[in-house]
Amino acid sequence: MLVQTWALILAAYRELNAKKLFWITMGINLLVVLLYAALGINDEGVTLLHWQFSDEFFNAENVPPDLFYRFQFVSWGIPFWLSWIATILALVSTAGIVPDLVKGGVIETMLSKPISRTRLFLTRYSTGLIFVLLQVGVFSVGCFLVMGIRGGAWEPRLFLAIPIVLVFFSYLYAICALFGMLTRSTITSLLLTILVWFMLFLTNAADGLIIQQREGVAVQVERLEEQEANRAQVLTMTEQNLENTEPDSPMHGQMVRNVENRRLGLEDTRERLEARRASLEMWKKWTSAVGYARTVLPKTSETIGLLERYLMSREELGRLMADRTGIEINDDDDIPAMADPEAVRRAELAMRDRSVAWIVGTSLLFEVFVLGIATLLFMRRDF
Amino acid sequence: MSELALDLSDVAKTYPGRVRALRGIEMRVGRGEVFGLLGPNGAGKSTLVKILMTVIRPSRCSGTVLGRPVGDKHALSRVGYLPEHHEFPSYLTGRQMLDFFAALSGVPKATRRRRIGEMLELVGMEKWAEKKVGGYSKGMRQRLGIAQALMADPELVLLDEPTDGVDPSGRRDIRDIVARLRDDGKTVFLNSHLLSELEMVCDRVAIMVQGEIHSQGTLDELTLGQRVYEVQCLPEAEGVLRQAAEGLDDEWELEGGVLTVRTEVADVVQPLIDALRGAGQPVLRVQSKRPSLEDLFLQAVTDPETGRAKSPGAADNSDSGRGK
Repeated sequence: MLVQTWALILAAYRELNAKKLFWITMGINLLVVLLYAALGINDEGVTLLHWQFSDEFFNAENVPPDLFYRFQFVSWGIPFWLSWIATILALVSTAGIVPDLVKGGVIETMLSKPISRTRLFLTRYSTGLIFVLLQVGVFSVGCFLVMGIRGGAWEPRLFLAIPIVLVFFSYLYAICALFGMLTRSTITSLLLTILVWFMLFLTNAADGLIIQQREGVAVQVERLEEQEANRAQVLTMTEQNLENTEPDSPMHGQMVRNVENRRLGLEDTRERLEARRASLEMWKKWTSAVGYARTVLPKTSETIGLLERYLMSREELGRLMADRTGIEINDDDDIPAMADPEAVRRAELAMRDRSVAWIVGTSLLFEVFVLGIATLLFMRRDF
Repeated sequence: MSELALDLSDVAKTYPGRVRALRGIEMRVGRGEVFGLLGPNGAGKSTLVKILMTVIRPSRCSGTVLGRPVGDKHALSRVGYLPEHHEFPSYLTGRQMLDFFAALSGVPKATRRRRIGEMLELVGMEKWAEKKVGGYSKGMRQRLGIAQALMADPELVLLDEPTDGVDPSGRRDIRDIVARLRDDGKTVFLNSHLLSELEMVCDRVAIMVQGEIHSQGTLDELTLGQRVYEVQCLPEAEGVLRQAAEGLDDEWELEGGVLTVRTEVADVVQPLIDALRGAGQPVLRVQSKRPSLEDLFLQAVTDPETGRAKSPGAADNSDSGRGK
């Protein structure tokens, strides 16, 4: 059994080795690492090779080099390179593995060997992940060295990129394998996979926006509750003052008007509070509905986001983001709920607080389901 | 151990659209035999072989391959197979390709290393061992394909159109390989529509037409009752020959000084020769003839009612009662 598995892995490596795209991607990988190494931080700001970019905040006095490199990795290494560009290149490189397997002329010889269809298909699927393993492995080692040499911190958590990216890619690759089985076409399966990926991205974005909206409304409710309490207190005090004031006092008329105005203000606040509470209930329902829908779908963005979670603490990220963007809590409740910085912060925390088991576990269940269908098709098909 | 390498009964395959590719094949192939399966394109030959190799799932099937049920993966470690339109990974060298498929057959590394050299020598591809398969000619790929089929030292070898794309000297080499396999006690199942190839190497043949076995057996068995003897005389001696033939019990015909008698027994023609000699007429020729494999094949594929070739292929959905 091991002989067969090793033969399939070795053949897959040789296949990748023979592909120009594999080496092109590897070259781009190394270029990205070199770009990463070219970045630096000193007392005046950020450097790129010999160029100096002065920055009041991003300088060695405020941000230690190790934090700077981790932040750069989290800011563009993960969201741009690993999440998108490298993944698209990996999909392009591996999308043909299943269609090539089921192509006439190849599959007959494979199936005539004493290896079960299930094992053949799943091993072949797994060999597709070798591409990502090698690419991310090289990228992680490169970044680890840059962070150690340039940043002065040897950060083993960086190697978490390997399993996390591998798991993240495996969701998409399972979809690609299913489309490969259904269409037997590399280009069609690739395009359909990218389409599904884009839809998953949209559901994730929608989820984020809805949570942000919910948190924004929740912030407004809290502020209105506070406002209501304050106004109620002021009204009570004003009413007490009015009771203590002689009716024929020159101040009495003014105080009656004050009480009336504050009562109206309180009623207005209560009306707005009720409206916001109703709105909050509605957004909570939407959040639940989208949350349930997303439970059965792979969480691509959140899976890759785990890397950020492990590499930077909430406090570190919050400080860097807040200091750099100058975000301040604004008490003005007329701004759109989701644009409220406090809402943005809370939404980020809410997303970040989702458990790894939910993110990865449910996504892997989806992958098993999709892969199960693909395997079943492979098992039952005549070639 | 079963004496039969293949023992098949009621093998049927119906494709979607009620296309009945196989309609209940009965076939037995003894161990150590070279067995040829012939038939026109689309008769179902490759479908049958693919069922044996688990590439296609049968609609109905009972029988054994090397004593194990058809579809049993363990039996496949003792079977070598060369598919008809094979396409081997172009990124592998000849040596790597043989190593890869032998490893899939479960052959240990040390054995693979030894067998690769032997097989490359057998098919005359030693010099190309380190070249990428993508650069091979069709004939070279065919040779490598045969080497691939033999890597695991199989007891049963199924070769689907092994001489396809191979030049005449290559065909002779393949025939020699088949003969060598038979000498080594292997069973060889040849699937081909090149009748002369099969006639030269096969111990037994089966003719498949429209998804059914039309006839099977040794060439002698298949031509039993179809042997003829021809006696040729001068045209002026035809009367003597006709007179002598009048007393025969067997079917005969006389045309152009050639008397053709349909019989399996040589003694039958002796009185004819005696009559010619008795009349002082020379006997120009006496010849025993039996139908060639091509004759048998053409008989099988010709519709007796119309005298024309039966429609090609096995597709026929007129009878939907079987093969579900």
